[in-house]
Amino acid sequence: MISARNVRKSFGTHLVLKGIDLDVVKGEVLAIIGPSGSGKSTLLRCMNFLEEYDGGEIWFGDELVGYRKTASGRLVKDSEARVAAIRTRMGMVFQSFNLFPHMTVLENVVEGPRVVQRRKRDEVVAEAKQLLERVGLSAKEDAYPGTLSGGQQQRAAIARALAMRPDVMLFDEPTSALDPELVGEVLDVMKALAADGMTMVVVTHEMSFAREVGDRVMMMDEGNQVEIAEPATIFTNPSHPRTVEFLQRVLR
Amino acid sequence: MDYTWHFQVVWDYRMVFVRGALVTAQITFWAVVIGLLLGLPLGLMRRSEMRLVRAPAAGFIELFRSTPALVQLVWIYYSLPILTGLQMSSVVSVSIGLGLHAAAYFAEIFRAGVNSIGRGQWDAARAIGMTYSQAMRRIVLPQAVRRMVPPFINEFASLIKLTTLGSALAVDELLHEANNLINNTYRPLEIYTVLAVAFAVLIYPIIFFSQRLEQRWQRGQ
Repeated sequence: MISARNVRKSFGTHLVLKGIDLDVVKGEVLAIIGPSGSGKSTLLRCMNFLEEYDGGEIWFGDELVGYRKTASGRLVKDSEARVAAIRTRMGMVFQSFNLFPHMTVLENVVEGPRVVQRRKRDEVVAEAKQLLERVGLSAKEDAYPGTLSGGQQQRAAIARALAMRPDVMLFDEPTSALDPELVGEVLDVMKALAADGMTMVVVTHEMSFAREVGDRVMMMDEGNQVEIAEPATIFTNPSHPRTVEFLQRVLR
Repeated sequence: MDYTWHFQVVWDYRMVFVRGALVTAQITFWAVVIGLLLGLPLGLMRRSEMRLVRAPAAGFIELFRSTPALVQLVWIYYSLPILTGLQMSSVVSVSIGLGLHAAAYFAEIFRAGVNSIGRGQWDAARAIGMTYSQAMRRIVLPQAVRRMVPPFINEFASLIKLTTLGSALAVDELLHEANNLINNTYRPLEIYTVLAVAFAVLIYPIIFFSQRLEQRWQRGQ
């Protein structure tokens, strides 16, 4: 569903992605782990072109993300409209929630389907209410994000992303900004989503989540993909010394 | 100190103040309209990544911010006709001059307001498939506008007071009317006092209204 081919990215002279190859299969949950600064968030943000990669290719289904090929085979930046169209099919959830503070929870969820997809109001509102019920926020429909806890805001953000009916969900450290006692409620929503068969790419520091819910786990370090394997292999029998070292530090 | 105040004189000539206030209000109105219509695009242009778009906007803004408004008005009223043959009435000149002046300041208010909205909001808007203009209209501007109101009101109050520069071009706004009156009545202290009150009456309601608006927005969130 998402394929990365030798993806490279630098900020100035600093190389943050040094050639990533990756295939995310429909219905799978891929967890990306690694120390901070390893490039995992950047890789995730390249997948929906919030960050522009400068080498290699990322494919979403049979579409190249962010670029198009000219007749001579060169890559040129794609039009804003086409990039936006691809993004509507990928939901994204951020570390800092990024709900729209001037809109109620329900308005946040309705905004994308109404404004971007131009779907009918009645239909969109009904679906948004169902989604809010699914993430346990029916009582908070008319609340403004500023009045919600972090866990509630993140669940609302998940509902907002799902309202676009995406084919894949990208999670960028969704629980890192949360108080410890609020992490569980967000992970529960994500687990339910995974159980429903949603394709998910999750950048996370929650090793238990990666282990329990991940179909595969990818370990990144310094812009490299260190290894990618089933959680059982990564967590009990990692093949790379960097993985061993990292897991020792975080699982202590 | 045995000065005797004679406010009766001012009362006898009250219509002069009303007339002046109308002209002041009229100049301010058009200056604000021109300032907003030019200021928003200028502020957005100045944020552009393309130098060709950014540079002219920056040039305009800094030119008008770094020169005295009086000189700008004199220049538009006296020099523009010499260069272009376009002679405007003094009221129109002042309105346009202050409009351009206001545009430079409004542009900076717009720019600062838009810049104050964090990258996360842009990310979230883009992630649900919004284009730049959709994200700007639906997500960024509605939030930025709320932050723009206090500096905008400041600028608005300055602008009303700047209309007094019109007296230098013999526009019959409040100050000019007041000066004429002083020449007839020789009561400068009374007349200037009432002039100050007249400006306060024009400006304060707007300050009051904006504070109420801010309070309402704060309660809404």
